[in-house]
Amino acid sequence: MLTCDDYVSPSCLAEAFAAIEAYRGRYRIVAGATDTLPWAREGRAGDVHIPLMIDVTKIPELCELSIDDKRVRLGAATPIQRFLDDPGLARALPCMTRCAVWFADDQIRAQATIGGNIVNASPAADGTPCLIAHEAKVELASAHGRRKMPLSDFVTGPNKTALADGELLVAIECDALPGYGGSFEKVGHRRSLVISLVCLAALLKLDARGRRVEDVRLAIAGIGPRPVRLNDVEEFLCAGSLTADRLEQAADMPVSLVASRTRQEYRRDVVRGFMLRGLINAAKRAGADKSVLTAELEAAYA
Amino acid sequence: MPDLRIEATINGRKIARSAKPHQRLLDFIRDDLNLTGNKEGCGAGECGTCSVFVDGVLMKSCLLPVAKAQGATIETVEALAKTGELSVLQKAFHKAGASQCGYCIPGMVMAATAALRANPFADREEIKERLGGNICRCTGYQKIFDAVEMARDIQNGSLPATALMEADTEDAVLGKSVRRIDAPSKVSGRLKYAGDMIMPGMLHVQVLRSPHAHARIVSIDTEAAGSIDGVHGVITSADVPGEDGFGVFVNDQPVMARGKVRYIGEAVAAVAAEDLAIAKRAVAAIKVVYQPLPAVFDPDEAMRSGAPVLHDYAPDNITKHIPIRVGDVDKGFAESDLVVEEIYSTQPIEHAYLEPEAGLAYVDHDGVVTIVSPDQNVTHHRHMLARIIATPISKVRFIMSPVGGGFGGKEDMIYQGMLALLAMKTQRPVRLVFTREESIISTAKRHPSRTVLRMGLMRDGRIRALQMKMICDGGAYGLSTEGVMRKAAILAAGPYVVPNVRIDTLGIYTNNTPSGAFRSFGALQTAFATECHLDICAERLALDPFQIRRLNAMRDGAITHTKAKLGSVSLTRALDALEQASGWEAGAPVSRGSTRNDLGGDDIRPPCALGARFAGGQKQEAAE
Repeated sequence: MLTCDDYVSPSCLAEAFAAIEAYRGRYRIVAGATDTLPWAREGRAGDVHIPLMIDVTKIPELCELSIDDKRVRLGAATPIQRFLDDPGLARALPCMTRCAVWFADDQIRAQATIGGNIVNASPAADGTPCLIAHEAKVELASAHGRRKMPLSDFVTGPNKTALADGELLVAIECDALPGYGGSFEKVGHRRSLVISLVCLAALLKLDARGRRVEDVRLAIAGIGPRPVRLNDVEEFLCAGSLTADRLEQAADMPVSLVASRTRQEYRRDVVRGFMLRGLINAAKRAGADKSVLTAELEAAYA
Repeated sequence: MPDLRIEATINGRKIARSAKPHQRLLDFIRDDLNLTGNKEGCGAGECGTCSVFVDGVLMKSCLLPVAKAQGATIETVEALAKTGELSVLQKAFHKAGASQCGYCIPGMVMAATAALRANPFADREEIKERLGGNICRCTGYQKIFDAVEMARDIQNGSLPATALMEADTEDAVLGKSVRRIDAPSKVSGRLKYAGDMIMPGMLHVQVLRSPHAHARIVSIDTEAAGSIDGVHGVITSADVPGEDGFGVFVNDQPVMARGKVRYIGEAVAAVAAEDLAIAKRAVAAIKVVYQPLPAVFDPDEAMRSGAPVLHDYAPDNITKHIPIRVGDVDKGFAESDLVVEEIYSTQPIEHAYLEPEAGLAYVDHDGVVTIVSPDQNVTHHRHMLARIIATPISKVRFIMSPVGGGFGGKEDMIYQGMLALLAMKTQRPVRLVFTREESIISTAKRHPSRTVLRMGLMRDGRIRALQMKMICDGGAYGLSTEGVMRKAAILAAGPYVVPNVRIDTLGIYTNNTPSGAFRSFGALQTAFATECHLDICAERLALDPFQIRRLNAMRDGAITHTKAKLGSVSLTRALDALEQASGWEAGAPVSRGSTRNDLGGDDIRPPCALGARFAGGQKQEAAE
């Protein structure tokens, strides 16, 4: 059970920083609260007393959203459901929509925020690998100023981030990638409300003929302490044509990265299958030529 | 601690009242506003029975700090229809038989309402997906989906509203689809489960549970806990006035641990206080000194000499051994053309009824100790409690509150004894509501089993001999273990004619969570072994699995291996229906997976995939 002495919902950043200053070391930032309340229960953190809860969802800057041709800026308190409801976001972030479809359930998506998903820093967070694939940077603010850093550096381990004392995650900026084929592959015990055992975000851009890889972005979570980008696989895929053979080779490359605490053998099988399925799905949506994506390949993996 | 001032519109009414800053919207609605239609099933956003509309968007109120309701418009299940009326969806749930225990139903009705508001033409796949955040443990969901589809069609005018009316049964109800009489109270949220009930002056109970699997209790000091302001009573086994011990077959379990603890989660002491937070503080202030003892977690190890002994009366740790002998098994194996031996094991399973245990107790004006709880065995418990609290049975009353799912898991008197003692000690009504975690850690599970099964068959598939030894982990206390072992043994040879049988089922004490009743009651473990075994034997003999079962099936008038005469046996009819419905590919079961012709047909559910909302053609694809 979570108890607190006070719960405030500041209406601007300055108010939030004042509350942080007044309760140094004795506060917790909360956005959607969908991770915080289940955390403070028996078997996890148990009964927890936090003197001050600071709810950041009423701060306008954290709820803002802007999209241009190159970049997307997401307020940290953007609810996950927005990735499904906003056609502009769906166009700019091709794998985020597909990630949101599989995220928790309709009800929790309306409440849970992208910033919360990142800061919670679960090794199996669904949103983080997608945004890493979109080259996301996080914007952090404190009473003393602002800084930006790559999301891939921000998440440092299970439930650990580079967030400094007194700092808040205010926004995420990432590449807008309209025209890319996107895919998000996830496996867990059931359709809804499931924490990923493994999840993979794939983004693919092909040449006009749909045969050669112009750009590819791959990130994976659930196989180690934090989500990771698969740079070497991306380089390999960009170096040649899209063929069934090369897809198979690419799929084998990250298998050795599996370093989870449990079910490693299973996860290795999943990683290989997801690499193929994710790349094939992304390629299909990127307009791949039919000679590349044969019916057999699709039947086997997509 | 400054209280929050919450101004909101709840079910059309403006409210302005204070709330504790740590309260969840669920607590505020249920405890402060006494709107108990929406329930708490898990407290972790998993089950959805607490789902309410916040500014028109469905959310899980157990995940919402109450401060988030500031200025919001909230609708609970009570808002869906006026008193005495039901919405079309609620009527459809009634008509379709979509409610069973009813505990998930307020949330289901809310989620279904949200689904049809979002898309009045949602197809079944989309309905499934939109209801994905709500869990039901009774129905298997099909009737719930039927109800949502029925309501959708009525709202769209493609089905007349008369479809919701009771079918004309012409005085005869057998063979007819009859609406459940308790459904209106469930679909509207009006039915009060034990955790919804309150009484003036009621105290809240919390339980201190053992962190050890096996330990001697050296001392329990409750003085600090008892002196906390707001605490009205603390009890331990020393407060039990009568003969302490309950169970289904053997009364081996004390109301609270006496002398030693035997499993992690066993009740050691209990507190009644003015609110939950005080009760929790008091539980934390109870000082128990334990001396850990060697523990045993595997039933085979528990049977070895020198193993830790759980109960003095059972030095071999055997709770119950049921042996059955028919004919001459050794001769049967010698006559057989094929003898197959395999080992089968099953795991402990939690019932996970959607309503966690809850109970309310009070001593009435005539001095009758009264317990209200979702108790699946009130008469037996009344007798046991009278003996435990040394009170004439005429002064002990059990009232069975609506059971929000039981499946056998609420047959044991796990907590009612503590409630009685606290009601007597404090002279106030007392209520205990388990958390989901508490329910899982402390209550009975399905017996984990390990079965060695040896079967001898003739070349044509006839069974000559069956030898089975099943060892079950009964956990720390007996509960229903004896009954489960009996039924397992009775059903071990399946509905098959077997001339030579040797069966042994053993329930063993270990320091694991106690095992107890769970629907099918022992049949699952042995049937799993016997039926898997028959498939393996069929493959070895190149026979169709249906054929080998028909060949050995009991027919009308059969005598079972426990000498029961069966008047009529429907097995062959069931096999015919199953074979037809499954589209079974005839022949020995030698092909697997995608090479089989009976998988992937119209009636086989494919694996989870994106529903109609997202799969092709819709706005996501259009946007890309």
